Amino acid sequence: MDGSQTWKDKLADRVAPDLAREIDIFETQLELRKQGKIDERVFAETRLRRGVYGQRYDNGQRHDGTKVQKLKLPSAGLTKGPETVWDAPGMMRIKIPFGGLNPEQMEALADLSEEYADGISHITTRQDIQYHFVHIDDTPSLMRRLAAVGITTREACGNAVRNVTACPLAGVCRDEVFDVTPYAKACSRFLLGHPDTQDFGRKFKVAFSGCKAHPCGLVSMHDMGAIAKQEVVNGEERRGFEFYVGGGLGAVSYKAQLFDNFLPEEELLPVAQAISRVFARLGEKRNRARARIKFLVANLGIGEFRRLVLEERQRLMPDPRWSDYLSGVYEQCESPLKAAASLNGGERPEGFDAWYATNVYHQRQRGYAVATVTLPLGDVTAEQLRGLANIARRFVKETIRTTVEQNIMLRWVSEADLPKLYSTLREIGLGEPNAGTIVDVTACPGTDTCKLGIASSRGLAKELRTRLSEKSFELDSAVKDLRIKVSGCFNSCGQHHVADIGFYGISRNINGYTVPHFQVMLGGKLKDNAGAYGLPIGAVPSKRIPEVVMRVTDRYVRERQKTESFQDFVGRIGKKEIKAMLDDLTQVPAHDVAPSFYSDWGDPREFTLTGMGVGECAGEVVSQAQFTLAASERELFEAQIYFDSGDLRKAVVTAYGAMVQAAQALVKTQSYDVSNDQEVVLAEFRQRFCDTQLFYDKYAGGKFADYLFKAKDALQKQNGIEREVAFQRLQEAQLFIDAAHSCYNKLSQMKSAVQAGSAGAASAGEG
Amino acid sequence: MDLQKVNVKFFVENGSGVPLDVFIHVFNSWIQASDGEYYDVADYSHVPAGPGIVLIAHEANTSIDETGNRRGLLYNRKAPLEGTNRERLLLVVERALDNCRRLEKESSLKGRLKFRGSEALLMINDRLLAPNTPETFQVVKPDLEKLARELYGGVDFTLEYQTDPRQRFAVRLRAGGEFEVEALLRNIEGVGTNPSCGSQV
Repeated sequence: MDGSQTWKDKLADRVAPDLAREIDIFETQLELRKQGKIDERVFAETRLRRGVYGQRYDNGQRHDGTKVQKLKLPSAGLTKGPETVWDAPGMMRIKIPFGGLNPEQMEALADLSEEYADGISHITTRQDIQYHFVHIDDTPSLMRRLAAVGITTREACGNAVRNVTACPLAGVCRDEVFDVTPYAKACSRFLLGHPDTQDFGRKFKVAFSGCKAHPCGLVSMHDMGAIAKQEVVNGEERRGFEFYVGGGLGAVSYKAQLFDNFLPEEELLPVAQAISRVFARLGEKRNRARARIKFLVANLGIGEFRRLVLEERQRLMPDPRWSDYLSGVYEQCESPLKAAASLNGGERPEGFDAWYATNVYHQRQRGYAVATVTLPLGDVTAEQLRGLANIARRFVKETIRTTVEQNIMLRWVSEADLPKLYSTLREIGLGEPNAGTIVDVTACPGTDTCKLGIASSRGLAKELRTRLSEKSFELDSAVKDLRIKVSGCFNSCGQHHVADIGFYGISRNINGYTVPHFQVMLGGKLKDNAGAYGLPIGAVPSKRIPEVVMRVTDRYVRERQKTESFQDFVGRIGKKEIKAMLDDLTQVPAHDVAPSFYSDWGDPREFTLTGMGVGECAGEVVSQAQFTLAASERELFEAQIYFDSGDLRKAVVTAYGAMVQAAQALVKTQSYDVSNDQEVVLAEFRQRFCDTQLFYDKYAGGKFADYLFKAKDALQKQNGIEREVAFQRLQEAQLFIDAAHSCYNKLSQMKSAVQAGSAGAASAGEG
Repeated sequence: MDLQKVNVKFFVENGSGVPLDVFIHVFNSWIQASDGEYYDVADYSHVPAGPGIVLIAHEANTSIDETGNRRGLLYNRKAPLEGTNRERLLLVVERALDNCRRLEKESSLKGRLKFRGSEALLMINDRLLAPNTPETFQVVKPDLEKLARELYGGVDFTLEYQTDPRQRFAVRLRAGGEFEVEALLRNIEGVGTNPSCGSQV
């Protein structure tokens, strides 16, 4: 109770010296920034590399539904990055390599969420844990307390190697080739803070999977991914990996490309190092929108990229860490607490059977099971985390994993213990069934806390969970197995591309109001390690998305053929038909008829208050522009139909036409009689919107405009076109059109502000 | 001990059935009526026995909290407190009760929410400053007793130290009889700044 004691003093002998030193340095940097001795941009990247992230409204302003409020924060002009007020709460991301946790760590996480955040630990779609509403001054203590239980936040954000993820069933999976856990662990340790990973232009995500067919590892959507493989080499069975590089979701998704059909285990780390060096040396640095390794691989081609990496590999000085860990990889990483025993005949508490059906996975080790703890929206309270730590000690010891579906898994449960385990989970409010079903919707933070969020992904996810939970007992089994994923924007942190039914947040201007919408994505595939990405069907008002889910799934149940998968069903009936089926849902009732459409899920504020009261004259021009924007969407949809039918050239040409039409819509807001000649439209668009930065995203910069000009160049150059490239062009066209809508909304708001200003000035003059 | 990060929770007498979503609207109206004091509203209504709906501010978070499956208003002071420990405790309790009163009078709740003044949970949200030990309780007890005497106007009360070492330091305060929020506020309004109020009742 010595008030002068600090966590640094108290934990001095419990924090590894290297971690302690890193945190000391960070604390010093905090002080230097307060003294104005570090540039705010440099400090921003510094804190990001420590997992200290910004959060919505951290520019010190918030729209309360009627006006913009300047938030009372005693920062006195001090910032922690550009437009980021020092005292504004932020997000803390905590790396949990391969999702592995032990009870002591869970207790520490529980304590920290209470003392420094809002009492919630949020499991992310990459097995991390996030706290929200954290003050930056608390972060060094928070880091020390994490370090004391062996957790680091280093490189959880920023242009660095992010959390290394792995299949949460690794080691107990019935289908895996071998346990990838020790490899993921070694990779995570090796790349963390490695000098060759410190000069990336963008983040770098790594994933491991024990098998090819199942979705757990999601290798295809990662910058670097490894799928366990065994081969007979010179008569000896050897471990290695089917090794991929250059995948990623984000605004434009790429499937990872095969780097090596069989990368021997001893080459895993040196090749990862060589890839890091090539990425650091040749990856884009200035244009963030093209800086992920997926663009480098696409630009160079996988053959040339591979050649450069292997050349780099030969130049590397041998490092004992490349192989030191290999002597232990054949040992079982985990051991059970209890003896194996079957479930036979034991008493089953109420609700157990439903939970058992969805939340229990039988391990390959007979008599043991993995129990999934369903966490709504990935959220778990401090009390629940402590309760889970108790439960883990009682039933499984230290064998806990977070999952990319935002749940927690308890591994090595003796099957005979499952009823008791279920009852104990229920006591702490964690006995919910439906893990890995359509009810178990995953979502990124969206507008709740993310600065980039456009629509409320968590709000929508919560609503869908509620509605689907109520129906879960009557849902057809084919529907129950579907997955829904929601992102608040096109950046895809909610991984909407790989869901059966995915959504990402957008907005549309309807009669002068900005209305929250979601783009509907169908046809994604979680299986085969995120084997296929969905394509957009159309924009639907946020409040009508639950109807979309019900309508699409009902039709699937009615019309599917025998064991037809959802992806196959979508492919068979076609996007045109699905779009027609949803057409009435795209309509937005007038504001006075249904005002709820004009606010988002879980947020009573009107989605926007500007853009109202547009004059008749402007309204005419606006109507014309909107009409053209709508036409561009229709044209893009046609392009998707061509794509589905295999006419890739026509798909790409049509998509380009749709983009030009969207550009023309914007030009029309300034020059009503603009020509239909594509060259003229492009020139006008460049001059009026690109050169002036009117068509400019605060975070993405001029990326979306580049898509238009790049598409034009590509059309002139290409004769044949690959399916993957065509797919990307269509995605880029969709993003360009969404950006045109956003730009149009911005113009409307600016116009209203000017009109309001004029009216105010006029009335002041009269006074 | 220099008391900081004091939390206090007053439990509801009735109003457990009011859907949590309703408080999102209420807190949003509080934000609109304020001048930048509040930062945002966090919705955890989907989490059983969780933080419920949290009104975030720099100085303190105020939430309709359901921890322990008991709904109440939790005032979680974050910004540093000044004055004596007694003054700090009084300030936190007064702010919490102010918020309780405001909710009780909230027109959209139509009188469905009422707090039980006779019970409060006081916590120190800082395990370094106030480890959950009997020693901490002995150090803090005199200040808590003073607070309880002032809050309940001399009525008998008990202080029940919560002994689970994994939890934050917490003391449950219970008084005999029934107490309206308004009455508690009358008991403490002004006493925090009046040195004479430090005397025994």
